Amino acid sequence: MCYGSQGGDDGGGFMAGSQQGSQSGSSGRNFADDTLRPVTIKQLIECKEPYPGSELAVDGLPTTQVTLVGQVRSSSTHTINITYRLDDGTGLIDVKKWADSDRPETAVSFAPDTYVRVFGRLVSYNGKRHVSAHFIRAIDDFNEVNYHLLEATYVHLVMTKGSAAAGQAGAGAGGTDADGDSMFVDGGYGAGGGGGGGGGGAVDARLATCSPAARTVFNFMANSPGEHTNVSQVVAGTRMSAADITAAADELLAGGIIYTTDDDDTWAIFDV
Amino acid sequence: MEAIANPRITCAYLNSYVGKNVIVVGKVIQLRGEEAIIDADGNITAHLNREAHLLAGNAAQIIGKVNPDLSIKVLSSMDLGTNVDYNLANTVVEISHQHRNLFAYE
Repeated sequence: MCYGSQGGDDGGGFMAGSQQGSQSGSSGRNFADDTLRPVTIKQLIECKEPYPGSELAVDGLPTTQVTLVGQVRSSSTHTINITYRLDDGTGLIDVKKWADSDRPETAVSFAPDTYVRVFGRLVSYNGKRHVSAHFIRAIDDFNEVNYHLLEATYVHLVMTKGSAAAGQAGAGAGGTDADGDSMFVDGGYGAGGGGGGGGGGAVDARLATCSPAARTVFNFMANSPGEHTNVSQVVAGTRMSAADITAAADELLAGGIIYTTDDDDTWAIFDV
Repeated sequence: MEAIANPRITCAYLNSYVGKNVIVVGKVIQLRGEEAIIDADGNITAHLNREAHLLAGNAAQIIGKVNPDLSIKVLSSMDLGTNVDYNLANTVVEISHQHRNLFAYE
């Protein structure tokens, strides 16, 4: 796919106009760097403008072409475009599909609650962000929604922490700090975290009989601020599944190392 | 453009989201009038609205509010047919909680 030609094709003269306004030719948009990025709507809502009038950046990388999925919450038809309000569970954003008078057959409208896939360009206009769609289609196979969310997460991780292949190479070469996220979490909560708080020798001795998962959960709780730790905090901090954490917590509860506080999923360390 | 998230959850997360709106994808185990039991890594009771058109045995997505008794008051529901990978859906829930910066607002 050639984004250069697509960009010119899309939305009439809009892009040319915005280009003229900001940069007078010297450093026009570099289409070679224009990648199509899968995103969640929250990423678009929270992405930053490095300086006014510049390209918007997701994870610090300039991002213009995006693909997203979402459920149509509402739509409004105007003479020159149709605006859909899309919701993917992470936020709401407007998607505008400009009418193409040369190809009236492309003007289909989508009913509320339909899941759609959008390919488009992220636009900041009058302080509001929307996606100017090149193409919208309905999603037939619901699994595509889940695949997209995983893909968006994967791309985010590759952009922020490096690719999985590079990480393995780093670990093989003796654990340079390029080896990424999982090693860090192990180091933080698995191996090194024990002395962080709460415990002392008695707890450490009791922990010795626990499973690695239980130790990881304990160390996370010992290192987290505040006395009470909820399962969702542990999920976010340790990257374990809720089921594994609940099993690990049951083990710690049975050992009398932690106790439940506000509800069954909130725990505090039992200080000896 | 609004920062309103409906987190995707499974049965295990119900406790953490009482009083909040959530999305659940699961298999419809049983339909009894306006009540449905949905399996999303564990059975969840859903109180349906009038517009619900779910089918027992099919997959469904429900959006609703978690009641104090951990049932869900459904605001919107959708039949997803039979071709839904439940393991995938549950994995996405876990991933979305592990990488909250992409999915949820604190």
